[in-house]
This record gives sequence, structure tokens and C-alpha cells, in this order.
Amino acid sequence: MSRLRRRSVRPVVATALAVLVSVLVAGLVAWVPAEANGPAPAAAPGGAAYSKTKALTRVLTNADGTTYSFPTNNVTVTADQTRNLRGRQRILIEWKGAQPSGGRASNPYGENGLQQEYPVVVMQCRGVDDPSLPKAKQLRPETCWTASVAQRSQITRSESEASWVHDLNAAAADKERVSGMTPLPTAAECPTADIAPFYTRLTPFVSAKGKVHPACDADHMPPEAAVGSAFPPNEIAAFTDTSGNGSVQFEVRSDIENESLGCNDKVDCSVVVIPINGLSCDKPSTPASNADKACRKGGRFEPGSSNFSNEGVDQAVSPALWWSASNWKNRFSIPVTFGLPPGVCDVLDPRSPTGFYGSELLAQAALQWAPAYCLNKKRFKFQHNRTSDEAGFRLMESGRAPAAVVSSAHERRSEDPVGYAPTAVTGFSVGYVVDRPDNAGEFTSLRLNARLLAKLMTQSYLGSDLGRGHPGIGDNPLAIMSDPEFVRLNKGLSQNVQEVGATLLSLSESSDVVEQVTDYIAHDKAAMSFVNGKPDPWGMRVNPAYKRIKLPTSSWPLLDSYIPETENTCRQKNPAVYFTQLAAPVTTLRKIAEALLDAWPNVQTRCEYDVATDSYKLGRVDRQSYGSRFMLGIVSLGDAERFGLRSAALETKSGRYVTPTEGSIAAAVSLTDQKGKLDPFVLDQADVRRSARAYPGAMVVYTAARLRGMDEDDAKKVAQFIRVSTSEGQRQGTGNGELPEGYLPIRAKGVTAKLYDAAQRVADAVEKQTPAREPSAEPTAGASTGGGGGTVEPPAAPGAGAPSAAVPSAAPTATGPAEPVATDPTTAMSSPMAGRLMPFLLVLALLGGLVGSGIRFFVRPPRRQP
Amino acid sequence: MAGEETALTVSTAFIMLAIVCTWVVAQLLVLGGVSQDRAQALLYDDFRQQLAGATAPTGPVVPAGDPVAVVTAEGIGLEQVVVEGTASGDTLAGPGHLRNTVLPGQAGTSVLMGRSSTYGGPFGDLDELGAGDTITVVGAQGTLDFTVLGVRRAGDPQPQPLAPGAARLTLVTSEGEGRLAALQPRDVLYVDADAAKGFPAPAGRPAAVPDSEKALAYDTGAFPLLALALALLLALTLAIVAARQRWSAALVWVIASPIAIALSWATTDVVMRLLPNVI
Repeated sequence: MSRLRRRSVRPVVATALAVLVSVLVAGLVAWVPAEANGPAPAAAPGGAAYSKTKALTRVLTNADGTTYSFPTNNVTVTADQTRNLRGRQRILIEWKGAQPSGGRASNPYGENGLQQEYPVVVMQCRGVDDPSLPKAKQLRPETCWTASVAQRSQITRSESEASWVHDLNAAAADKERVSGMTPLPTAAECPTADIAPFYTRLTPFVSAKGKVHPACDADHMPPEAAVGSAFPPNEIAAFTDTSGNGSVQFEVRSDIENESLGCNDKVDCSVVVIPINGLSCDKPSTPASNADKACRKGGRFEPGSSNFSNEGVDQAVSPALWWSASNWKNRFSIPVTFGLPPGVCDVLDPRSPTGFYGSELLAQAALQWAPAYCLNKKRFKFQHNRTSDEAGFRLMESGRAPAAVVSSAHERRSEDPVGYAPTAVTGFSVGYVVDRPDNAGEFTSLRLNARLLAKLMTQSYLGSDLGRGHPGIGDNPLAIMSDPEFVRLNKGLSQNVQEVGATLLSLSESSDVVEQVTDYIAHDKAAMSFVNGKPDPWGMRVNPAYKRIKLPTSSWPLLDSYIPETENTCRQKNPAVYFTQLAAPVTTLRKIAEALLDAWPNVQTRCEYDVATDSYKLGRVDRQSYGSRFMLGIVSLGDAERFGLRSAALETKSGRYVTPTEGSIAAAVSLTDQKGKLDPFVLDQADVRRSARAYPGAMVVYTAARLRGMDEDDAKKVAQFIRVSTSEGQRQGTGNGELPEGYLPIRAKGVTAKLYDAAQRVADAVEKQTPAREPSAEPTAGASTGGGGGTVEPPAAPGAGAPSAAVPSAAPTATGPAEPVATDPTTAMSSPMAGRLMPFLLVLALLGGLVGSGIRFFVRPPRRQP
Repeated sequence: MAGEETALTVSTAFIMLAIVCTWVVAQLLVLGGVSQDRAQALLYDDFRQQLAGATAPTGPVVPAGDPVAVVTAEGIGLEQVVVEGTASGDTLAGPGHLRNTVLPGQAGTSVLMGRSSTYGGPFGDLDELGAGDTITVVGAQGTLDFTVLGVRRAGDPQPQPLAPGAARLTLVTSEGEGRLAALQPRDVLYVDADAAKGFPAPAGRPAAVPDSEKALAYDTGAFPLLALALALLLALTLAIVAARQRWSAALVWVIASPIAIALSWATTDVVMRLLPNVI
């Protein structure tokens, strides 16, 4: 456009162009939905956002029967996504106008969040709030999930801790000394439930199958609530700031993660948000009993204060009584629906799947796409199998898979040409979970540059004092949080070193993602001079094991070999390379995303004594505690959006930091070039560095397929997949066949038009399958190109008829089959060099002999004569 | 005088060129044949022993250079021990067996590559084979007679797909055109021969072979060895010069000639690995 503008001379033309430009820009903005960094509340395409306002008032009844009302809080709750959720997906829930919280806990999840005042309880419940539905489908406190007994039931409380029996809104039966279940569990089942004069309130849990867990002690809880269960609690007692606002990323669980709760595509569930506003109390007795007084308490912590030491709180304003009628009445129930489970195709479609092998970047899209294929009888049963890009490409080349999913050009090893059809535009990001010090919440604007990534990947941080003895780098910072370069970029973070700060959780196997990460480093001068041995301005040096490592590389090696010497018996029994334990790369991006989701570093330095086997063993460190979380990992953008992970801004131009947004990815796509018409688009990181807007982690995922020699059926399937995925599959949304967040839609117009066109070209070429010239180079060698491992039959042209057709007789003889099949002609192979070698040598010998002796005969004698 | 010396140098250089070229041609056509004959004799003894001791290889993976079969074609006087591997260096000793195909005689297609004109030219007369001729293969699993389907050149249709259980032998060599055809092998020539039933073949063959083992390919891996051989020749030359200053010319030549010839021979063998494998 700037070129056009330069050409325009006259002001009128300039104005016209300016209008045109602005219209175009407006169009661009319109179709690239504004998507803020990371978990910001993008208006989720296709997902119905939720928003509701309620007036919450706490009412105390006076002794004379009159009532006193506290000022009303008008609370508005919004959620960004509610439809077609998947297990472990995180949705953003925000509220405003709530009562400010006090006594903030460092970890608000599960029972750790109980000791707070006026929090907002967010939990997942089976059923929806709809009076027209049968009771089994309705939402009740009994169908709401909590991971501990203390969050559900109040067991044998003294009178001063039994404020719920004076709840103004409670039914008479709920004000009994023991309540919550009819009939009450027997003393044999729950011995602690009914002990006079103590008060007990049970909130049983009813599982999806109808089993009732009385929740009177840990043994009577659903199995998923066991101590140390696979997933940490997801229910949260979240904090409202002093101006009444708050937000939380709530992780929903499907029946795969939590079978007792049992939410899936058929069972509707709700996310219930209960702003704790304080119990409303009934008419007190005279004189007021302890329970009456307890009910009227208003909290002992100042709004905005913290409660790190887990002191007791006033029960009437604590989250423990979320089930009480006063609190339950104040609930916002956000109905959510779940998408089809990942295995739906295997359950509903008996056809054998057609596997596409390769990049994990497509995983989240494939999850939504697969049902759109397998549930449609006119289409094939699509299956995306995650392998390394290289392995997928090899499978495709050798004909064992119809197509590969890759995100860069791969070297061909067979003769057949390969076409690359752009299928999705996405990328990687450096995901992080970092808490600000002093319980100030999560850090949301992490910035990284290539040198910091290089420092992390080359294992140049020491991790802990164990690393101090490492030859050559003993003076380096222990971890990234104490690196002055990082501190300068990210102000206001704790500089307390954790081992995990020495590492960036990455992939152990070959991947185009690693290739792109290292390519980004390779195009940064400062990063490369660091890698090549020059210390950074603060004197930090590269780990000698990685000095001058060749970049980019598709798989990152573990080169360090330093085993620390220590007095620790456990380490002496298990000598291991320390930096490798810190790095501990994993095999899939999904594992990295889940590690970030759980804030559970994969650092393998935990060393403990096992009494059972009388031995010391190494293992993964514990989950990080809330308030001091710090973890970095490479994730796919699809996973980052699905799980609500934050993505770091990466430096492009000096001083410019770009986060992955649809705009920045589109800017990167506009920088890509394509060599041949069927080739992949190459993103030159040098261009990215010049552009201030393009995101360096943008990657195009291709469906790569052979253009020759493919089975006709497979060719049709691949062509269909390319066409469907670039049309229907690019509609943004959460439903079957739609494109999830984290992917930039490929459209026929706009910046992705070139990708769309290329995809259609490749689809045509794949379907057409350049025919006939099948055994291209070597005739003998079906042998050498056919590979495959079966009997090698050079002349057996594929599609030339099955051997059974060619050989009807059960006793084949050397005279050959009865019906000869047409075979391909033998291809010419010759070596001119071989042909000319001996004549050339003979001529040379003759020439040498003649000239040599000629000189002796004719040249020397004349010289002698004079 | 200077001009005279120059002329002498130039003349010597040309003579040396002539000697080197003649030596290479001689090695290719004559001396190579002698060494191949000897290699065959040794391989034959070795393989006979292995057959008798039932230790002959049946695949799927055989160390390169080991004998794997004896192939005989009465019509053209061919009787050769087949070695494993088809790189240039392997086919110096005899016809080589392409390593990703079944062994000769086993069910499936087995590909043998042999030289047509150099190093004894064991496959030099392949083009004289005609349909119906018999090729006999003796391997670890027994003796099998193949019936020749015909000679195949570029453009000819490939043979019919193989029936299950049948065995096929594809012999590969090169041939030239016109006068002096034997001296300019250029194009690949195939002879296919079928047998109704082959011996069972074990699974697990390599899926592919390096490029250096395909027809008309050469082995660039020989360069380091060539450098070593040439360095030895250079060292010998310097040694001769040094020796000439102390001993008489006759004495030096008597001692140095055998070494020079042996070294040249070895060097040329290395050079051969840099030339196509079926010429």
C-alpha cells in the first residue's frame, strides 16, 4: 500500500487511496477479532458468553422482629466461554460489585481457601438451574464438587461455630442440631456425625451414577476427592479486591477427569459462582445464644488484608457455608456444555481410521475436527496421531501413512514429489505461570528476549548451589529470576531463586517447534554471541557444553555432563547430571501445558529415602505453592488458549515485545514466502526481527502428501481433508469441525489468501496424482526405492492388478501367468563417465607417450647442435 | 640449458602420465582380472567350506563382502561366487548381491550386480543369454535352477509380477555400444530369470541401501583411503631419492620396484572404488 501511495501524486488520488486504505484496514480489523494476550476475555467465537447481575443483601433480624439490612451489593458475573468445553479447559470468570474480601489465603484452591472472609466461591456442579427440568437434572449443593470434607460438611461443631442454624432463609429442618441428610447416616457409618450437644451439618455428594457419599469424613467422599488424587482441586474461594472486582480462571473437569461429578456432552453442568455476602440471621433468642452471635459476625480481617498464617475466620462470612440457604440463594449458576469426548470417533464410528501423523500443533484443532469427519458418513474417519514432524514425514513418504502433519519443509528421501497444503496457522509460545510477590496475584506481562531463551536452553543458569561447582560458569546467576537482564525486563518480581527458574521446559524429541525456537535465537546477534562464548554485559557465560552449538536445530540435545560433588547421601547414591535433571524435557507439548496448568515443574531433583526398599530415589519435585509459582515452558498456542495459559511477549526489534495475538500472527504470515507453488511458506526470522508487529513463534501447519504413487482412495481422503479443513474447518468456534482459539483462520481473502490458494492447489494435485511414471529412476529397484520390507518386486507396478488376478493357477510356473499384465518400461540408466573412462585413459596414455618421447626426439637434438 | 631442462621435465611429466594411464588401464583390464580370479578362488574355498559345515548365510543381514551363493550359467561360461554388497569395492571380488533384496534362490526378487569389462568382467557376456537358458544358483538352502526370461534394456517392459512363493534373479551389469563396446560400458543391462518356487526368505532385511550400492553408483567413502595410498606412494618416492644417494641405482630399483608395484596396485584398487560398480 505504501508503494501505491508513493505513486499517487495528486491530492485527490491520495485522499481516495487513504479512504480505500482505511476501509481495508477496517475490514482487516473486522475479520481479525480482537484477541487480547493470553487469557483476556476475548469474546469467544461460538461460545455464548454469560453475564448476569444480582442484588445481594444481608439481612439481620433484630430481637424485636424488625430487620436490619446491610447495603446491597449489586454483583455482576461474566464468563468468557460456556459451550463445548473440554476437560481441563480454563474459562475466565470475572465479577464486579462484590463485597471486598479480607484475610486472603496464599492458596485459594480447595480446603486451603477456607480461611478467608467474603471470598467468591467458584465451583463446578452437575445439573442446571432450571425449575422446568426433572430434579435429577437440577443443580443442588449435593451435586457440587469439592475436594475435601471440610468444604462440604460441618462436623461436631460447638454452638459458637454453628451459625448456620440461625440462617434466616433456611428451612426448619436445616436448623436442627444434626441436619443435611434424610435419613441421617447411622452411627456405624458416620460415628462422628451425631454427638450431642455438638452440631453437625452434612452436605452429601451425589455422584453421577446416583451413589450418595455422606461426606462425614474422608472415607465417605467420592474417590476423586482422595488425598493426593491425580488432579488438584479446581474449586476456588477467590479474592475480591477493595473496589469489588475480581477474576479467576476456572478449570472445568469432564467425566474423564472426574467420573463422580460426571459432566460430559450429554450431562449438562454449571459453574456456580457464590459471592459470600454473609449469612442472614433469624430472630435471636433472649439472651442471644452463642450461635446467634456467631451468625451476626461480620469478619475480623480488613478488606484487602492477607491471612498467610491460616488463622481462624468468622464462619458467617467464610466460604465454608457456601451451601447454606442464604449463600446458595446468592448463586450465579453459569450453565456450561461439554464437547464430545476425545474418543468419540472410536466409539461411534466402526470404520477403520485414516491416520495423519505429525505435529502436535494441530492437536487442539484436530480434537474439534475429528467428529466432523467420523460422524459424517460421506467423509472418512480422520485421526490425528502425534509424532515428531520428521517421523510423520517419513511415514508419509514410505506410504505407511496417507499424509503427514508438519510445519516446515522436510528433506525428501524418495523420488515422489510432495505437496504441502497449509491447514492451520498457529504457533508456539513461551507459556508461563509467575506469581507476583506478597500475594499480589499473577504476573501478566512477562517479556523475554532471545538471549534469555538461549541462556535457559543452554543450561547456563546454575539452578542452586549444586551447580556452583560447574567448571567455567560458577559465577553465573542461579536462575533467571536473579539474572539482571530478566529483572530489567520484568520489574516487580521476586528474586528468590527456585531451581525451576534455571530451565525452560521443552521437548525431548525432534520437532519443528524446537527448530523455530532455535531459529529465533539464531537470528539474534546478542544471543548468538552469548552462545558463541562472549559473556553478556553482566558477565554471565554460556555453559561450555553448549558453546558454539549449531543453531537452528530440530531437536535439542542434553550435552552437559557435570555431576556435582556433594555431602548429600541421596545424591551420592544417585549420581546424576544435575542440569539434565533440571531440564528434564518431555515428549509432548501437552505435557508441558499441563505442567504449567498445575504449576508442577518437571524438575527431577527431589531426592528422598524410601523406607520400603531401603534405598534413595530421585523424582519430580512437588507442585509449586500459590503465591510463589514460577515456571516457563514451550507450549502450542492451541493448548495455551484451551488451558488459559499466559504467553510471554518475545522481543523482535530491539525493545519491541510481541505477544501472540491474531494480529501479530497475521503480520508474521504476511512475511512468509513460498518458493514453488506446492511448497511450504517460509518465515524468515530476519524479517520478523525487522518487523515490529510480527510474532516470531507463528507457524503454519501443513498437510503434506505425496503427489505420485498414492492409493486412489487415500488421495481422495487427503484432498477432502485439505478442502474441508481450509473451508469449513476455518470457522472459529467451539463446535464440531470448527476452529478453536489459538489458530488464525485461513480465509480466501486477506492476509491468509495465499495460504488458502496454495492449499487448494495442493488438494487438486494430490487428488490428481501425477500418473504413470511410477518407478521413476531405477528399474531394478523397486528394490531400492520400494523399501517397505515385503518381497521386493521391481516390476510389480502398483495398481497393475493383484497377484491373484495375474496368477490364477495355484501352481505358477516359470512360463509366467496366463494373463500378462502391462508393466512399465525399464527406465534408462547410464553413466557417460563409465563409458568414456577407458577410451579417455587410453588416449591420454597414447598422448603422454607420444608427446613425452616426441620431446626427447625432436626438441633436444636441435638444442644440442648449435 | 634452462630450456633443455624444461623440455626434459615436460617430457618426463608426459611419460609419467602415459605410465600412470597405462597402468590404470592395465589394472582394469588385465591385472584386475588376475586379482579377481584369486579372490574368487579364495571365496570359493571359503563358501564350499561354509556349505559343507552348514554355516553359509541365509540372511537377512550378511556382513558385506562375505560369499552368499555361487551362480553358474553354462551357456556363457559364467561361474562366480556372489559376495554380499554391491558397492564398487565389493564387486571387485565378484558379482555383488543387493543387500535389500532376498538372497539368490530365496522367494522374491534377488538382484545381483556384476562387472562387465573390468576386473575379470564376470558379467561381460550376459547379453548372450537368451530366453530359456538356465542359471543355477547354489546357496545355503540348496540349489535352484532359474530360467532366463530375457535380456532387458532401457525401454523394454519390466517382467510380470512375481507369483507368490516364486523366486526371481535379476542380474545387472553394463554394456557399451558400437566399436570398442567392451571398452566403453555405459548403459545398464538387466537379465531376468525366474524359478517357480524359491526357498523361504527370513524377514528383517534392510529397507534401503546407501546410494553407493545402487547400479552404476560409486563410493565416495574411498577418498580418505586414496589420500593415504597416495601419501604412501609419495613417501616411497622420497625414500627412493634418499636411497639413491647412498646405494647404486640398480640396487635401489631391485628393492623399490616390488614395493612400488604393490603400492600402485593397492592405490588403483582404491581408485576403482571411486568408479561405477558395474563397469
